[in-house]
Amino acid sequence: MRRFDYLRPKTLKEALQLKKTIAGARYISGGTDLIVQIKNRELQPTALISLRSIPELAPIEVNGGARIGALATISDIIQHQELGHNYPVLVEAARSLGSVQIRNVASIGGNLCNCSPSADMALPLLVLEAKVRLQSAKASREIPLSEFFRGPGESCLASNEILTDILLDPPRQKAKAAFLKKGRVKMDLAVASLAVLLEMEEGRCRKARIAAGSVAPIPLRLFKVEALLEGNAISKDLVSKAQQLARDIVSPITDVRATEEYRRQIICVYVKRGLEKILG
Amino acid sequence: MKTEISFILNGSEVKVTVDGHLRLIDVLRDTMSLTGTKEACGEGECGACTVIVDGRAVNSCLYPALEIEGKNVTTIEGLRMPEHKLSKIQQAFVDHGAIQCGFCTPGMIMSAKALLDSNPNPSDEEIRDALQGNLCRCTGYVQIVEAVKRVAKQLKGKR
Repeated sequence: MRRFDYLRPKTLKEALQLKKTIAGARYISGGTDLIVQIKNRELQPTALISLRSIPELAPIEVNGGARIGALATISDIIQHQELGHNYPVLVEAARSLGSVQIRNVASIGGNLCNCSPSADMALPLLVLEAKVRLQSAKASREIPLSEFFRGPGESCLASNEILTDILLDPPRQKAKAAFLKKGRVKMDLAVASLAVLLEMEEGRCRKARIAAGSVAPIPLRLFKVEALLEGNAISKDLVSKAQQLARDIVSPITDVRATEEYRRQIICVYVKRGLEKILG
Repeated sequence: MKTEISFILNGSEVKVTVDGHLRLIDVLRDTMSLTGTKEACGEGECGACTVIVDGRAVNSCLYPALEIEGKNVTTIEGLRMPEHKLSKIQQAFVDHGAIQCGFCTPGMIMSAKALLDSNPNPSDEEIRDALQGNLCRCTGYVQIVEAVKRVAKQLKGKR
């Protein structure tokens, strides 16, 4: 690998300051994506600024809602009992991410900031309507995760900002969610994936949230499918309409892992399976 | 830029001076001459480089060397028993024919150790999940899973 310096600031303030002073520096958290990119020369940073020694980025706090520090590892999330109890879909997705060795190091913030269309943690967080907190030297802002992604490898995170926390509202009693992921073997990147959250009341869908992975330039909320379901009883006919609509909305590509048509087909099937899984 | 760090390696405190761009596997193999840990894919897919850091299995090919400061690292060499005897897991791999070319074996054994240290009585599914990040291209996985099950049984007998 090309040489670079590796810096380990102890505070957020110091980390933000360092980035300003070193041209071509990148932040690193778990590094399980970043180091591969550097090795493949997709990135050639002059320095890496590690966020791993900053204690304020680590904790997971569940208190009604939840605050997940960006540096929490995927294994931390799986092992956090309260988080798993309140947001089971989040833990389900976490279990599907990579291998044990990757989950032990990869961070939830890194999974989001890497901005892969296949990011496993993005889907449950999108249907749970998570917010992310972005911190610069001068200000902090909170935005819905659905507005965070811009394209493969691109987000609305400015170069002088750090994603510090993921924020979740308290779980709603009637909400149920499901996560589905298609890979060749379990630890693969998703060929296609889907998360669904439904809130039913008196036989009607009061709230629907659906997000799809690996079928668009970003992890995608399917707003139109949500709107189609909301306010209605979920009949067989409505499910077919939702499937067709989802198939039309997504814009997958053909690559080494699957063809465009196959990915559309998976999403189409997963919309039905996801709804069935929740409705029983 | 070189930085001096200290960490616990296989039970003893060591001090090393490392460059920022180096990974844990570089320090283990090149600085410490512990070549039991293997590098194959170098991108976290194959698990040949698996070591245990603070009780958790990690890919040493993706672990920045400087992050090891103050941590506790166990490599395959750390399983060595007195009088050159093999540890239980190593012996079980031999007994079950779970080794062919042997290149994946150190990583496989470290993943198995991390599992058994935290869960001495794993189900078949838990064993397969724990070894999912370790690829073997020779023997297949049946003998390997059986070897791990055997060790779990021995541990159970002890308790």
